[in-house]
Amino acid sequence: MQRTIITMALLIAGAFLALPCAAQEELAGADRYRMREASTGYYQEYEVMPSRGSPFVQWSGAKQPAITGGRGSVATFAVDAHAMVPNYKHQRCVSCHKETARNNRHTTRMNIACRQCHGQDPIAGINHYFSPLNPIRRHAMVCAKCHQGASGSFAMYVVHEPPPLMAGTAKSFPVLYWAVWIMVVIAVGTFALFLPHTGLWMLRELFSSKEKGGDA
Amino acid sequence: MRLKRFTPVQKAFHILLMLSFLVQAVTGTARMYIETSWGRALASPFGGYEGSLTVHKYVGLFMLLLFLCHMVYALFIVFAEKVGGEDALWFRFNDLKQFFAHLGWMFGGKAPRFERWGYWEKFDYWAVFWGMIVLGVTGLMLYDPLSTTAYFKGWSLNVALWVHRIEACLAMLHVFVIHFAIAHLRRHNFPMDRAMFAGDTDLEAASEERPAWMARLRSEGGLEERTVSDVPVIGLLISYVIGLSVVVFGIYLVVGGLMNANLVSW
Repeated sequence: MQRTIITMALLIAGAFLALPCAAQEELAGADRYRMREASTGYYQEYEVMPSRGSPFVQWSGAKQPAITGGRGSVATFAVDAHAMVPNYKHQRCVSCHKETARNNRHTTRMNIACRQCHGQDPIAGINHYFSPLNPIRRHAMVCAKCHQGASGSFAMYVVHEPPPLMAGTAKSFPVLYWAVWIMVVIAVGTFALFLPHTGLWMLRELFSSKEKGGDA
Repeated sequence: MRLKRFTPVQKAFHILLMLSFLVQAVTGTARMYIETSWGRALASPFGGYEGSLTVHKYVGLFMLLLFLCHMVYALFIVFAEKVGGEDALWFRFNDLKQFFAHLGWMFGGKAPRFERWGYWEKFDYWAVFWGMIVLGVTGLMLYDPLSTTAYFKGWSLNVALWVHRIEACLAMLHVFVIHFAIAHLRRHNFPMDRAMFAGDTDLEAASEERPAWMARLRSEGGLEERTVSDVPVIGLLISYVIGLSVVVFGIYLVVGGLMNANLVSW
């Protein structure tokens, strides 16, 4: 009788223990195939299909609403980000997007047009779930057009770079702001010390008497 | 009479560093100023925008290799030949005193008695280490952005590019303005200091500028083995042609860069 009770208890406990184990499924981490992504260009299913939660935090979302002609940051989530722009057909991208048009090495150095990355009309906002520029699939559908083997980390390069020395960059891109400011201070400090020093030196030598000047 | 300040190995290091630095300066400036006609003219001998990048990368690897060889050589010199005391290139407290004494001389005081290495020469030597480390790390990050983003986030490329640019401008301006002025263009050395080229240093000029070193050499008896007669005219000619052309081209890069700075979208 006691043996029977122990056997039944073990069977019931084993059944309960097996249930959650059977439900486990190995999920590839976001970093596991990083090297393979860079080499082969193959991508995980979640990177191109809206099936499961995204491993990418949408870091490019606007932190605070941007006043852009009455359309707030909801435009970045819209299927057509320019739906309510007046006289849209006769405007250029830089008519409204003045700040992002600057400091874009893709445009100034490689002559990449805006639509080569942002696509044709209707242009979805970059945070729209099915946008090619959504961080979920930006590397595969946009960057990999030119940079073969681009990974999700590669797509985190800030194409529309804020001006590094401006005070606003301290909030939007603090690492760039502080690194550039430190380098500028080092460079200007070096010259503030050595340029007057060299000038004084050359000036003083003009008025110093010596038997012969330099190599002769 | 001439005084030998550097060995042929050290002269070889200097001339290789000089030429590779010049190639990096030209190709880097060409790519920075590619939006201007001046930048495109600078880039055309190297194959334009993409060709300049290829040359820039390979010469950068050569510079890193040269730097590593110099590190091995310097360690060998330090530990095998037991270089120390006044002959070492370490900064010492006396260098700070000599710096302020030199400032006093510039305002009309008495000239300081420099040893073998002046404080400015020690600074120039160690500044190369700073430049090689900063430019080397950021340059290797930008060498293959796809490989770099396997270990760093993509926005680190933005930071590396800006740090690379600013450090490159600092290095170029320091070499082409300050180093050229102190080493070559001031009256004491005009038109060129030949210590790193054929012909070595003038004995009387060294006596005037580095009296402490000359006194130590005379007391230790090493002066005779360091003095040589002057080189033939062909050696002088080659030295002046190479050195002065580099000086002229460096100043040309600085002037061109400053004149075209407003035409580039930084």
